Amino acid sequence: MLTPVQQAITLLGDTLLAVWRGTRRGWQFRPQDFARILADASARALLIVLVVNVLVGAIIAFVGAVQLLKFGAGIFVADLVAIAISREMAAVITAVVMCGRTGAAFAAELATMQANEEIDALAVLGLNAVDYLVLPRVLTLLFMMPLLYLFACVGGLVGGFAVSSSLLDLAPVAYFDRSVAALTYTHLGLGFFKSMAFGLLVSLAACFHGLYAPRNAAGVGSATTHAVVAGIVGVIALDAVFAVCADALGI
Amino acid sequence: MSLLGVRDLKLQYGANLIQEHISFDIEPGTIFAVMGGSGCGKSTLLKCLIGLLPPADGQVLYREQDYWASPERTRNELRADIGVLFQSAALWSSMTVLENVLLPLEVQGTLPKAQHEARALEALEWVGMTAARDRLPADLSGGMKKRVGLARAIVARPHLLFLDEPSAGLDPISSVKLDRLILDIRERTGAAIVIVTHELPSIYALADDGIFLDAEHKRPIAHGKPTLMRDTVMHPTVQAFMRREEIDTL
Repeated sequence: MLTPVQQAITLLGDTLLAVWRGTRRGWQFRPQDFARILADASARALLIVLVVNVLVGAIIAFVGAVQLLKFGAGIFVADLVAIAISREMAAVITAVVMCGRTGAAFAAELATMQANEEIDALAVLGLNAVDYLVLPRVLTLLFMMPLLYLFACVGGLVGGFAVSSSLLDLAPVAYFDRSVAALTYTHLGLGFFKSMAFGLLVSLAACFHGLYAPRNAAGVGSATTHAVVAGIVGVIALDAVFAVCADALGI
Repeated sequence: MSLLGVRDLKLQYGANLIQEHISFDIEPGTIFAVMGGSGCGKSTLLKCLIGLLPPADGQVLYREQDYWASPERTRNELRADIGVLFQSAALWSSMTVLENVLLPLEVQGTLPKAQHEARALEALEWVGMTAARDRLPADLSGGMKKRVGLARAIVARPHLLFLDEPSAGLDPISSVKLDRLILDIRERTGAAIVIVTHELPSIYALADDGIFLDAEHKRPIAHGKPTLMRDTVMHPTVQAFMRREEIDTL
């Protein structure tokens, strides 16, 4: 019997091996299943990601404007919003939203399949659950999370601009200029890379809790809860590690 | 040469002993019942026989080859000759009925691709589910799911079929129809069938041979044709089970 930590390490190793097998011998999962998962974690998730990030951008701008106005530095709200959104908030908030939305769905789906013996039925055919079920979900979030991050950046900047222009009476061109100046490739690159790491973490946490769920209806509920909790805590902890590393590297 | 041989098998979950000293042989074309009360380890034995749970000790021999001592490649080849109907039917929920039945053929790849659909439709026709080919499992009743599960188990024409509680959750009429279908499948394919059940009518209607697992002693306590077992084995648990009598020991 493996401990949960050993199970998690085994799943990570199996996933890496599945990627290697897939690139050498072709992917085992069905293209139509991959397309369904991809659509659900991209186009169908876009609206909620945009809405939440517009609001987060607006909140940052509001808090920033109130404070910066005291020092007559209202124009720097654009810098604050651009850096905070691109470097931290867009990636973190998108990961949290996707954890609650898609990660929960992944865990529930796999736990239900476990309870219904669907995963056993795959194993009897010689199909590996990691190759067939985990890999398409991991690849989906690994590649979709950075794309959603880019949309989230746009949403956050729009939200920040909307609040700033109404509170500070800033000219749109001035705000735009300051935002472009603040948005460096370093901030965007860091956010982009972090969102890939978050995608990997959220998908693996969801698949782990789904695959190792108890084989009953309650197991589906607990798998979903654990996947969301582990995903969100993991994202925030990993973000802290990134912050320390970025600081150490002078990024 | 027996199709399936089990030699002194011991089953455990961690340190928890489930069953031990299980031995039997299954000849081609026979229907073999694994019997016993709830929680005695029938489904655990089935998991070991179909390659999902390694035994703590003993051997599972497919055509005299030790399954659990074989390398992965050999195991895959041996597994290609078995079909399994799970207790819940275990149809893949994201696939239609036809896709469910097609998948074993696609995975095995032994039949030319052009023949896959015809073979899958033939299997669905045998179980009377052709009309449901484009429906999703969620739209089917319990009995229909079992029939589709049976079609999926036989589509690759395995020589050995495992049926886990096929009648569980079905009304008596559906249960009798499923029993007839199992006999019909045996007639058509000549496959040996291992049926894990505690449904007495099904056991008497179907089984040529069987084994009785006892939860208390954690070992088989009777072996043979179920009707003979009922008439000749005087162990109180076997008698209570085979005749539905109440006994003090239960």
